[in-house]
Amino acid sequence: MDRLKREFSTLTIVLIPVAIALNIAIGTLVLNLKVPLYLDSIGTVLVGALVGPWAGAVTGFLASFVWTLTGLFPQAIAWVGVAAIIGALAGAFRSGDWWEKWWKSILAGLITGVIAAILSAPIAAYVFGGVTGSGTDALVALFRATGLDMLGANMAQGVVSDPIDKAVTFFIIWAILRALPGRLKARFSGD
Amino acid sequence: MSTPTLYLPRDSRLHHLHPLTKLALIGLAIVAGATLPVTLWVIAVYLLILMPLAAWGKVLPAFLRSSLLLIWPFALSLTLIQGFFAPGEHILLQLGPLSLKLEGIQLAADYTARILVWLSAVILLMLITRPDQLMLALTERGLPRQIGYIILTALQIIPRFQQRAETILDSQRARGLETEGNLVKRLRALVPLVAPLILSSILELDERAIALEARGFTRAGPRTSLTTLKDTAPQSAFRWLSLIVMLLLILARAAGWMTA
Repeated sequence: MDRLKREFSTLTIVLIPVAIALNIAIGTLVLNLKVPLYLDSIGTVLVGALVGPWAGAVTGFLASFVWTLTGLFPQAIAWVGVAAIIGALAGAFRSGDWWEKWWKSILAGLITGVIAAILSAPIAAYVFGGVTGSGTDALVALFRATGLDMLGANMAQGVVSDPIDKAVTFFIIWAILRALPGRLKARFSGD
Repeated sequence: MSTPTLYLPRDSRLHHLHPLTKLALIGLAIVAGATLPVTLWVIAVYLLILMPLAAWGKVLPAFLRSSLLLIWPFALSLTLIQGFFAPGEHILLQLGPLSLKLEGIQLAADYTARILVWLSAVILLMLITRPDQLMLALTERGLPRQIGYIILTALQIIPRFQQRAETILDSQRARGLETEGNLVKRLRALVPLVAPLILSSILELDERAIALEARGFTRAGPRTSLTTLKDTAPQSAFRWLSLIVMLLLILARAAGWMTA
């Protein structure tokens, strides 16, 4: 309870909507740049890394609702749990100085990506019939053609796409954390 | 309030319902879409419940446009992935080693109908409900008001952030940053585009926090709201009834009482 209170200072409450807007603004910017990444959890990872796992989880959770409310990607709400876990993991990596070295942040991103892929696959496979209505469906078709079942094909698609995306996301946040003055970072920290 | 949401202000009876009543209505459609055993029944939820509701709310054209725009990528992917890879006996079309099967098409149609009901139900809710009234209704029922603040603020600032992202894109291009060309070039452009946006938004947080503190956001005690929501006894009864129907549908599906 104490930790929860410390993580949700007024500064955190104003940070979270900004982080959600970053998810959406950067997510759409990256889509227009036509790079095979999403970066649509970058704000969530930022909150986790700056404040802690609870604040990260809440950011991911609420970001899914906001994606749905804007009508840009209403299916986002189905992956609300995965979004929360990504934020929680970004916060959990604060212990054990994962955020100190650039290569450690990339490693943390890869781990988060694999976990996200494994958790997302059953939702796509069982709720949406194996598709997400986006470009990655082509990969699912490819893996189905190699003989994998629907869950396997969705997991394989996730393991191909998600770890790279999360590694880039975590690396960018690592660079941001380095650029921020320590005094400012200390004010966000929920430790 | 300028938000990037779908809300369309109309003078309809549907718009004037309490936000929780609308939420119950939409929840009912979503649960029905998930639990009804027959594809045709699911399609009926769209045609006979959601579409008439949209017409009643005077938002039918926008409703049809949004739901079609959202469903076609699903319909396409599902037809290809389920049509070719789901197991089945009735081959419709043979393409080399791959075959399009009737069973797969039926499965694709079933998933498409359900996804259509889910997504269009959410779209309908957004078309007829102001986000701030929805959050107010939920806050009145015990949702922490911080959650309401976070969601409504996020909705409000998204357009500004998208604009700022565009400005940064333009200025970095003007300074010679290559944002087109091969993949490596486009990937290298990411950090100079994304970092200024994140850093500038972190640096303005203090002002926001002070503004909130100055207006007593963190103070304990009761709050008064600028807007009030009108609720009626029949609406409250309808909400309880919907809840019971939703539970019955889920129970019937889980216990296998409903069969095709």
